[in-house]
Amino acid sequence: MKTLRRTLVLLAALTGVGTAAGYAATLPVGSLHLWGGAQTLTKGTCTLSGSTQTSDTYVQQDHATTSSGSATTMNVQSASGKLHAVFVSFDLSSCNLPATGGADSATLSLRLTTHPVQNRVLTVTPVTSQWTESLTWTDAVGLGYGATTTTVETGTKNNVTLAIPVTVDVDAKIKSSSANYGWAIDDLGAVSGTQTSTFASSENGTSANRPTLTINYEK
Amino acid sequence: MRLFSTTFGLALAVLATFAAVGAAATLVVGSSSLAAGNSAVTSCGVSSLSATRTVDNSGNVTEVDVAGIPAACSGARLSLTLTGSGNSALASATATIGSCGTTCTATFTSLGTVAASNLGGYAFAVQG
Repeated sequence: MKTLRRTLVLLAALTGVGTAAGYAATLPVGSLHLWGGAQTLTKGTCTLSGSTQTSDTYVQQDHATTSSGSATTMNVQSASGKLHAVFVSFDLSSCNLPATGGADSATLSLRLTTHPVQNRVLTVTPVTSQWTESLTWTDAVGLGYGATTTTVETGTKNNVTLAIPVTVDVDAKIKSSSANYGWAIDDLGAVSGTQTSTFASSENGTSANRPTLTINYEK
Repeated sequence: MRLFSTTFGLALAVLATFAAVGAAATLVVGSSSLAAGNSAVTSCGVSSLSATRTVDNSGNVTEVDVAGIPAACSGARLSLTLTGSGNSALASATATIGSCGTTCTATFTSLGTVAASNLGGYAFAVQG
């Protein structure tokens, strides 16, 4: 009888241990599933300028078949029947940016050598189809253009650099790995008379005045 | 003597029970710290994640997309932290991963104003 009682007591003790151990197994040890990781970004800057990295020209409504790819200056003009528009693009390939990268900021810099009579708001529109420096007004009419535009004011001072933010366009180009066809710059505002903004081109004799695209990127 | 042995046996049982519960409590603490580490415990097969962000013309982050999430993670919680210099937290958000095909993508849009130039990386946590 004594042996039986001791056995029962020992059994109760073991049952208690087993129950507690079983309870422990249902604690968050089994239900907590976590994974953690990190991704580190690398930063850099790429500056594109000069005739080897830039394609630019301007087209003239009043000279619809004339190409001006070798001109040292380019006009944006608003006048009835005499619109002029600048086209500029850069070869992004030398920046060696992977499609997993992106632009933290991108700035198109154009040197305004001769200001218009009045301050003008110019429209900067991404171009979505290929063109060359032999582009004419007639050709330009048939190109594709993006829906989202940026604007920049000329001011009324000569020899100033206009900094145009184009981060969204460049970021999208990097991610899509698609070719960059640059931007068209127009003066689409209402005007009486003629308003002409003249910019230095990539063939300009003063290298510091040539169009520049500066990209601060991550990858 | 009989009473003593009975009492002793019961005491032993109670002691064993409390000891086991105590051990369980220790397990909880230990497992939490394990889970907080990097890739020590996987749940739905995720082994790495990567994010891409879009920006506005001012250079501020407007959206972050996390891609390559295994479909088995559907229903799990994904926490994203945008980190700056010294791994400081610039912004964070949590989303529940929805149902998807082979791999899932999670999109985060309400991240406040974070300059992309200050963004040094991303930290991820998947819980589910």
